[in-house]
Amino acid sequence: MLRRTLLKSIVAGGALLSATSFASAQMVDEITEPVTVSFYSYNLASAGLKNETTQEMLNEFMRQNPMIKVEPIAAPSNEILSRVQADIVAGQQPDVAQLVFRDLIYAARDLGAEPLEDFAGDEYAAHTEGMVENGLDLGKVDGKTYGLAYTFSTPVMLYNADLFRKAGLDPDNPPKTWDEVKEAALAIKEKTGKHGFFPGAFGPIDGTFVYQAIVMSNGGKVREGNKLTFADAPAAEAVEMLRDLKDSGAYADIDVASHMDTFAAGDLGMFLFTSAIQDTMLKAADGKWELRVAAMPSFGDKPTAPTNSGSALFVLSKDPVKQRAAWELMKFLTSKYAYTQITSKIGYLPLRLDIVDDPEYLKDWVDAHPLIKPNLKQLENLTANVAFPGPNYRQVENMMKNAAAEAVLGDGDPVEALRAAQERAQPLMPGDS
Amino acid sequence: MTDVLHQAEAVAAPRVARTGRFTIAPWLYLAPALIILFVWIYLPLIQAGQLSFYQWNMLPTSTPRFVGLDNYRNLLTLPEMGIAVRNTVWYIVGLFPLSVIIPVAVAILTQELSGPLRNLYRSLIFVPMIVAPIVAAILWRWLLNEDYGLVNQVIAGLGFSKVGFLQDPKIALWTLVWMTGWKLIGFSTLLLSAANSTINPAYTEAARMDGASRWQIIRDIRLPLLAPTILLLSMMTILFGAQWSFVYINALTGGGPLQSTTNIFYLMWEYGFQTLSAGWSAAAGMLTFTAFGAIALVCLWLMKRLAVYDD
Amino acid sequence: MTERFTLRTAAIHGIMLILALLAIVPVYWMVITSLKPDNEIFSLSVWPDSPTLENYAYVLTGLPMLRILWNTTIMSAATATAQVLTGLLAAYALTRWRFRGSGLVHTLIGLSWLVPFQVTMIPNYVLASRLGLLDTITGLVVPNAAAAFAVLVLYNAFRGFPKEVIEAARMDGASHWRTLWEVILPNLRAPLASLGVLAFISAWNEYFWPLLLIRHLDNAVVQIGLQMFMTQEGSQWGAMMAAATLATLPILGIYLILHRQVIDSFMKSGIR
Repeated sequence: MLRRTLLKSIVAGGALLSATSFASAQMVDEITEPVTVSFYSYNLASAGLKNETTQEMLNEFMRQNPMIKVEPIAAPSNEILSRVQADIVAGQQPDVAQLVFRDLIYAARDLGAEPLEDFAGDEYAAHTEGMVENGLDLGKVDGKTYGLAYTFSTPVMLYNADLFRKAGLDPDNPPKTWDEVKEAALAIKEKTGKHGFFPGAFGPIDGTFVYQAIVMSNGGKVREGNKLTFADAPAAEAVEMLRDLKDSGAYADIDVASHMDTFAAGDLGMFLFTSAIQDTMLKAADGKWELRVAAMPSFGDKPTAPTNSGSALFVLSKDPVKQRAAWELMKFLTSKYAYTQITSKIGYLPLRLDIVDDPEYLKDWVDAHPLIKPNLKQLENLTANVAFPGPNYRQVENMMKNAAAEAVLGDGDPVEALRAAQERAQPLMPGDS
Repeated sequence: MTDVLHQAEAVAAPRVARTGRFTIAPWLYLAPALIILFVWIYLPLIQAGQLSFYQWNMLPTSTPRFVGLDNYRNLLTLPEMGIAVRNTVWYIVGLFPLSVIIPVAVAILTQELSGPLRNLYRSLIFVPMIVAPIVAAILWRWLLNEDYGLVNQVIAGLGFSKVGFLQDPKIALWTLVWMTGWKLIGFSTLLLSAANSTINPAYTEAARMDGASRWQIIRDIRLPLLAPTILLLSMMTILFGAQWSFVYINALTGGGPLQSTTNIFYLMWEYGFQTLSAGWSAAAGMLTFTAFGAIALVCLWLMKRLAVYDD
Repeated sequence: MTERFTLRTAAIHGIMLILALLAIVPVYWMVITSLKPDNEIFSLSVWPDSPTLENYAYVLTGLPMLRILWNTTIMSAATATAQVLTGLLAAYALTRWRFRGSGLVHTLIGLSWLVPFQVTMIPNYVLASRLGLLDTITGLVVPNAAAAFAVLVLYNAFRGFPKEVIEAARMDGASHWRTLWEVILPNLRAPLASLGVLAFISAWNEYFWPLLLIRHLDNAVVQIGLQMFMTQEGSQWGAMMAAATLATLPILGIYLILHRQVIDSFMKSGIR
């Protein structure tokens, strides 16, 4: 009796094992029956061009692949991971998801995103030809690619040319280093009474990519493996530089959540933030002031480390047929056609640089929209945003961000604030295994 | 004058006799509410109670790991916990005038005005309630902004220096209290007006004929008979003050600047619910539930002792 | 009541005017911002320099806004009705009979209010999924069909109801069911109406549960629709204010319908 139950459980276990290993490794070669896949996207949770463009791309995909139906599911970017997770828990397995980079490691290790080299083999290599090498790194965890960068951009310095002129500065020569930023900001403050400089780094909805970009441009890093290093020398120095900007008055003393609005209203000289807001800013500035864009400032001669914000696409399906459909969708959404749409209509960066000079794709648009050029040039130095690992990754990131905000905006010793937070957060990191 | 009140109390008819046998009737009436509350609120709470001792992200691909009291310890030792508790007290204290005192004043004062004006004022006070909370947050953020906000323009026009309503750590919390309270005035006024209008005018007429002054009528008849509602509103302010301000903290300050606007509820949200770790989240939920539950029990006990009913 | 112009009445009017202004100014701002073009959003002018209806056009064509308003109205009305009904029945049970366990039940109902929604969200989502309620209005209503708030408010109202009226009805031979519907309720119009309005608004403002449950924009509710104009990469303020203004209309409607019940009701003289 016991032997029979034991046997049954072994057989069941074996079947389960083979089923799971089968499901995670082999997708079918082609679609021969109608299949529906779900696509979780936060661009669909916004009104306007981002939404319409995404819908258009999905419709075009369905036109080209009549057997595949895409079910779009929208959730705002700060809720999309909870949404994916809730659906997995409830048994509604998502197929393709657009997730933000901060959740990269979680998606790879916990959500069960497929490592694309294993999953798609030769097709992956063929598909990624022509993609920026730095760009592919953005979605890598432990050397394997889990996410293909889909909508992403880097921090750029948007600035108000009118304020520059009023302050006696030359808008054709924007600041290139942090020292120059300080000078320019103080000039704007004194001569026009408006605010000088502000980074979108510490607001309630801001990610940590601007902060990380600044830190990494100074040679620092927020973590090395499982060890937190955001309080160590080069990272802390970068924060001290920001603190100096604050103390001197160059860094605007405004409500951290109102940065975009203050810049849009023409009350801020320089705004370091994602280039994805360019379109909104152009509309707000229309007829009132002149918007210009420059690369992010550097620490003296050190090369800058522009870090990615935005999202990557992940394949989460477990069923072989759906996996094939999901992969087809993913290839489509990261094709030359798609990046042309994404850059020209949604306002992000293309992962494929060959389309920039190709008249069939982006050339004409880029020529007509010179504001994107500084951002494209920065792609050469694209540095991957550092995601945090472990089950407590979000708590750790919170602590780091709060500490950095306190270091820059508070009254105490900045290095001390960072150090205290690093000590508190370290136990929450996974232990070295 | 006070014999009017005594009369009101004496009018109480003998209470419904306590039934010795078990009657099914009340349970049938209670059934719909109890079933819904059990299935959709208490069942998850019990699950949360169990989950709070594990580390798990709820995905079927991972196994829960028993961690004992770690989740609770992590939450209670958060550096922001001290500030969050202090701020919570300030939120509650600050909301009281807006959620209880002013609405009581409005309900009583407008009772003395004639019909159309009374309705107009009460309706205008109610208008904030029709605005969605997130929209109210954005509107006040604009109005209070230092650079392009109407309020600061007026302040500057009067000769004072501009106020950093949302970026000054000393003021930000009171700004959020104002925003939360702004919407609540209409809510409380509505409830109090409804309660006020059920006060039997016979009492007030009798008292007036006895020569009682307006203030005496208010003090000895209206206020005591409004007491159940006032107590309910007070209890709600204490229990939910932190929760009501959550939407504003979440949308506008994220607990900042420099943790000056965070409170218990937001802290639990930030570290418990936003982090996808079911363990932290469940522990945070259990902590808020037990803490506020204890306070609620005290309040309910007080309510039973202090409330005067017209029976 | 004759109203003599005294210092006292002047003071009352003064206070009320200030409060009324404070209540109205932001709402006024919302409406005029909805009429401003994109480059005027942050201007301080009390009326737009070039007023436009393009925001409204954008909202109505870019989103199925009318459909969304309809969904939200149905959902809120259903939730409010359910809460008032279940609350009514429960409050009646707690006040009409004294039975063993009534105190415990009262406390348990009250405490249910304190369970944070994040605790219930995922388990409820899983349950709703199993019941096939995902992406439906029913799924939005059912978990909220009972509310402690309704029970507590109605408990107060029932307790305040004169006992001798109930006694009189009982002596007339009325059953407890009939007493409830024919004797008590008609006289509780004010608390019922005000509770109804508040429950409607509370359901109207629900955000997190609909966000989780709804999968297609056609089934969405207003709070989700509004948030579509705010993203981490810039917001469309004019459009959002237009959507927000449209969203206030149903609530205004409900209030206007029900407020008569609230404002003018007092005991029918026949009872005394």
